[in-house]
Formats: sequence, structure tokens, C-alpha cells
Amino acid sequence: MFRHLFKLIWNKKKQNFLLISEMFVSFLVIFAVFTLLVYYYQNYRTPMGIDYENVWVVNYTNSYKTENTDSLAQFYETLRQTVKSLPQVEEISFSSENFPFSMSTDGDGLVYNKSREQVDVFNVEDSYKDVLKIKVLDGRWFASQDAVAKERPVIINETLKKKLFGNENPVGKLVRFDYDEKTKVKVIGVVEDAKVKGDYVKVDPGSFVRLDTGSFHQLGNILIRISPDADASFEGHLYKTISNYMKNSNIEIEHLVNKRKDINYFSLVPMIVLSIVAGFLVVNVAFGLFGVLWYNINKRRGEIGLRRAIGASGKSVSVQLVSESMILATLSLIIGSFFAVQFPLLNVFDLPAGVYITAIVLSVIFIYLLVFICSLYPGKQAASIYPAVALHEE
Amino acid sequence: MISLQNIQKVYRTSTIETLALNSINLNIKKGEFLSVMGPSGCGKSTLLNIMGLLDAPSKGDINIDDQKLNNLSDKQLAQFRNKKLGFIFQSYHLINDLKVLDNVMLPLLYRNSSEKERKQSASEALGKVGLSNRVKHFPTQLSGGQKQRVAIARAIVGKPEIILADEPTGNLDSAMGNEVMDILLHLNKSEGTTIVMVTHDEHMAKKTHRLMRLFDGSQVQ
Repeated sequence: MFRHLFKLIWNKKKQNFLLISEMFVSFLVIFAVFTLLVYYYQNYRTPMGIDYENVWVVNYTNSYKTENTDSLAQFYETLRQTVKSLPQVEEISFSSENFPFSMSTDGDGLVYNKSREQVDVFNVEDSYKDVLKIKVLDGRWFASQDAVAKERPVIINETLKKKLFGNENPVGKLVRFDYDEKTKVKVIGVVEDAKVKGDYVKVDPGSFVRLDTGSFHQLGNILIRISPDADASFEGHLYKTISNYMKNSNIEIEHLVNKRKDINYFSLVPMIVLSIVAGFLVVNVAFGLFGVLWYNINKRRGEIGLRRAIGASGKSVSVQLVSESMILATLSLIIGSFFAVQFPLLNVFDLPAGVYITAIVLSVIFIYLLVFICSLYPGKQAASIYPAVALHEE
Repeated sequence: MISLQNIQKVYRTSTIETLALNSINLNIKKGEFLSVMGPSGCGKSTLLNIMGLLDAPSKGDINIDDQKLNNLSDKQLAQFRNKKLGFIFQSYHLINDLKVLDNVMLPLLYRNSSEKERKQSASEALGKVGLSNRVKHFPTQLSGGQKQRVAIARAIVGKPEIILADEPTGNLDSAMGNEVMDILLHLNKSEGTTIVMVTHDEHMAKKTHRLMRLFDGSQVQ
């Protein structure tokens, strides 16, 4: 029967061309949506790598105008002690702008031997690890003795370790940043990957550089881990404490939990837009398919009547029409998969091959389901055609 | 072979009832060639459709080969039609997107037979109607007479015991009509196929064994 259906489809290739084209375009759009969905889902499933709950970020403008680095450091050290003395504060750490979920990035190239990787650079204090509960996988985190180390220390994340060092142990290795080609820095530890750009964005290679006292000229953020019982009244108290200390400074307190929600929403916008476009397209394709199949059945009433007369049951007529649609879908999916498979082969957009393969499989299933559902009712209608009437019409 | 007892067919719409066939009693013997005549709208095609199990009577019994067929399921009816009956229509009902050979093979698709067997049977059937040289043509490339011969080949490819022909010569000129009629007569004589033919052509009807006349849904002769 399939051979017969292939012949029928092949001999009507001109009429079927548009239908195949429609299914092909739908497949490509659905493939794009599924690729994004699978990619987001895979990223979503990876561990967060930090504990952002009960962490607040205080954004401030530096109001202490001085060129003297020591006195600036002293000013902020006093602020640190003042804030830390509050009963609900567990830990405090000054940070560069690119703290988790900040939508801010700071990047540079990191070179080891002849390999180079573009990395995120986080300028952090020793207490940063405890504020965000970062896990050290190898080596160690920064400590006070690093202030006088011969080589400036750097800590890298797992992703950077894999990309730059492969199976080699990076701890103790000397690397250099692009911005200072002459100065080597020493890797002292490897930390677990952290999704600082939100749940749906993959972790980029990252490095942590220790802040020195001179950094306070540029800093503007304090990360504070507070105890779970801290409430709005404490937030007000914290605000007053800091603003009393930093007169004329603009101070804003945000919760990392909320920052995470914001950045996640921002990441989902393209996905939502694409899904809406794809949704419209799918609805159009569904109606189109439905309409074309319905039209075909009305055009083929004589043929259906004849088939019934020579031995086809109503069910077999229905199965035949659904099968024809599925064969057309198969042809369009073969063409579509040929194009889709180029994405992992050519490593387009630098996504893992597994994401593309999963998206292809899901898209194929989706298109088959769509075509099947759209064919069911016209198929059922065809089965109910009365042969005596249909044969008399022609 | 075919027995119709007290067959009545009524078409109902929301406003009117039309009596298409009224108390038809008919027995057709195996190997008989029966022609059915009557004016347009007298119920000839309805009678043929009922005999061909394409339509169900409103009342009465149909027996073919002593088998009562009134209560068969859709699937059983389809199988019965496939094995026992062959159909020939005035407008041929060939599928224009399939070649002649594929059109003739069509009834065998609904049987458990291999592609090779189907091709062989279809070629033999086309040979019987003198169209062995047209197997790769599409129906649109054939004349009316040739199309009807293809339809006859399709009707006989499954070796049915009964052929039901609805005005097989209706669309053909007299020469082509005679050709088609000769093939039907030959099938009836040489293979013993029972044939019921609806026709408007008295001349053709006279060539058959028996003539049945219908008028306003009733048997008049």
C-alpha cells in the first residue's frame, strides 16, 4: 500500500509541492524554537553554583572624595565593620559591578601557553566566597597572604579549567591576562561554575581576581549575606546605617532573589517572542493543512467512492488519507532534517550538538503529531463518504 | 446467484420522501447476463447500487450465493465487494494520477497479494481487453473506449463472479460501445461471469439473456 501511496504522491508532485514546502518551513521554525527551549532547559537544569537567597546588594555612589588610597580603604573598612556589627548581617563583601544577576559584564582574554580564552573577570574580596557560598573544587580561595604573593593570584571556574587546561591540573600554573601581557598571574584554585547570568544562560569561562585597597576608587557594590529572619524593618535600618555613614551618597538596596527573577525574565524575552511567532505559524499551518486536506477530499470524492466500491472499508480510506499526509510530512522532514543537521555539523552558534539533535527529534515528533491531528478529521470525513453518492456525482 | 426479495428504497429529506424502488423481487442465475432498462430517474442505478452493496435498501433482503448480506459490517461488505463483485461505471472512474496498470491493480491492493502477483494479474486483465500496449499510459492519454476497457480490466482483475455495469456504453459512440459490449459478452460466455448491466440502449440490451424494465421504481417486466 505504501508503494501505491508513494506513486500517487509522486504523480501529484506539483500539487503536493506547496504542502511539503509549508511543512518544511514549519519544521525549521519549530526546530529553532525547540533548539532554544532545549538549550534553556539544559542550562536551567545545571546547578546554580551559588547561594543567592538571603543575599542583598547595596549599590552606592562613592561620596568620600579623596585621592588617598589608604584613607579611602580605611573609610570603607569602617563601613564594613559597622555593617557587619549589625546582628542580622552574616557576611559582607565589596564587589565589582558584575556581581550575580547584575546584567553587567567585565571580560578579558586569558592566555595559557598558546591557548586563549575570553573570560569574565570578577574583582572580589576574600569574603566573596562566604557571602555567596561558592564551592572550591581544587586548590584554595583567596586569603590575606595573597596580598604579598610574588605572583598575583587568580581563581578560575570549572568551565575555564576545561577549556584552557583540559585534563591538566591548573593549580599552580601561570597564566596572563590580555590587558597586562608582561605580568603572569598564578592559578591558586578552581571553583564550581555559577550561573551568574541567570538560570537560562550557560556559564561562561570565568576568573576571580582579588581586590586590593586601590580598588575602592572604582567599586560601588556591597554584597551582604543576611540571616533568614531579616525583614523589611531591618532593611530600613541597614539603609539608615549606611546612608548615615555615607552622607550625600545615593544608596539602593536590592535582593539577589529579585535580581535573579529580573534577569531570567530578560533572558526569556527572545524565547517568548519566538514562541509567539512560532505559535501563529503553527496555527496557520494547522489551518492550512486542514483546509488543503479537506479540499483534496472533496476533490477526490469520486476516487474515494471508487475505492470503497472495489474493496476499501471506510477505515482503510481514512487510514490511506492520513498515511498520505504522513508520507508528505516525512518527505518535508527529510529535507528539513538535512538542513537542521548542518547546525551541529558546522557548530553554528557554538551550541552543544546534543541540543540540536534533541531539537531535531522533538521537531520531527511535533510535525508528525501536527500533521496527524490535522489529517484525522478530514480522514474521518472521507471515511463517511457514501460510495453510491460519490460515484454518482462524477 | 443474486436474489432480491421485496426490496424497497426510500430517500428521505426533512421535507419529502422519495420512493426510489418499490417491492423489487429479482433472481439472477449464475452466468446470466441481465440488462436493466428504464427512463432516467426510474431507479436503475439505485437498484445496481443495492446489488453492489454500495447502498442499503430501506426494506427487503439481498442474498448473493445464498449469503444474506443485510447485516454485514462495513469491513465485511468491503471484503465481499472486493472478492465477489466488479464494477463498471459510465464515467469510468479511473484515477488520472495513476498509470493504466496501477489503475487496474487497484482492487488487488485490498487483498493479500504481492506486487508481482498484482502486476501479473493486471497485465493479464489488460491483455483480455486488448490494452497490453497501454500499461504505462495515464488515463488522460486514452480515448473514451480505451478508458472503459481499462475500467473493465479493473473490474475483472480480481476474477469476480459478478460484474455490475452502470451504463458502460453510455459515454461511447456506437463503434466503441459495440467493442465494449463484445468484451462483456465474451466475459459472460467464456468465463461464466454473471453480469448485470444498466443501459438506455435497446440494441445493447437485446444482446443480453434477459431484460428487466423499471418504471417509477417498480418492476414492469
